[in-house]
Amino acid sequence: MGHTDAELDGEAVAALFDAWADRIWRLAVGMLGDEAEAEDVVQEVFLKALTRGGGFEGRSSAGTWLYRVAHNACLDRLRKRRRHATEALDGEAPFPRVLVDWSARADRLLLDGEARAELDAAVAELPETLRAAFLLRDVEELSTAEAAAALGITPSALKVRLHRARLLLRERLSTYFLERSAT
Amino acid sequence: MTCEELVAALSAYIDGELDEETRAAAEEHLATCRKCPIALRTTEATIALYRSALRGGVGAERRARLLERIRAGGGA
Repeated sequence: MGHTDAELDGEAVAALFDAWADRIWRLAVGMLGDEAEAEDVVQEVFLKALTRGGGFEGRSSAGTWLYRVAHNACLDRLRKRRRHATEALDGEAPFPRVLVDWSARADRLLLDGEARAELDAAVAELPETLRAAFLLRDVEELSTAEAAAALGITPSALKVRLHRARLLLRERLSTYFLERSAT
Repeated sequence: MTCEELVAALSAYIDGELDEETRAAAEEHLATCRKCPIALRTTEATIALYRSALRGGVGAERRARLLERIRAGGGA
């Protein structure tokens, strides 16, 4: 990695950080499920953005660039862990089997520590390609075009991944709530 | 529209990306099917749940630490 300008303007750094850090942080935590590693990703992304010649300066789509660098930094760490290979990428979206309607209880479930842990576990177990699509579209609320650009894939590929991610998460959460309501 | 077709189009339906004709067929199916409306509502609830649960930011303490590290060029 190169060196940042020794005379980095503190206010400019803080402004860039405040505009983007929460979003990069959420993507990194969601992808990695590890706050210490996510913190390192945020640092890495901003250092790269602030490094001259790093590719960030003068870009019209700063967000896309930042998300892409953050996503790649997360993938590097996931590869090192050698977990969650992407073999499920071409799997079919699951046909909904568990059909209990817990949607009216969803707000209350957020206050429940056990349910929150289940949410985290469910997203962590998605194949990483699906996880990235879900986090960028449904949590960060990027458009299909923006999320596809950040991941370097076509909009139609993004839609396929998003659809699978949603149905996998829906199935898992429905199974969890069904089991909980039975106890 | 069948249940299989509805499920295949579920994300596009949620995102408002279906053409008028397909959307009308989806709504007609949803009005008469017992299962698919549950699949729709729980998928929408799944999205809403994650959107709310994962809204957290960096936080003040981590922000200060990170800014210090970034200004130091990553050496900290």
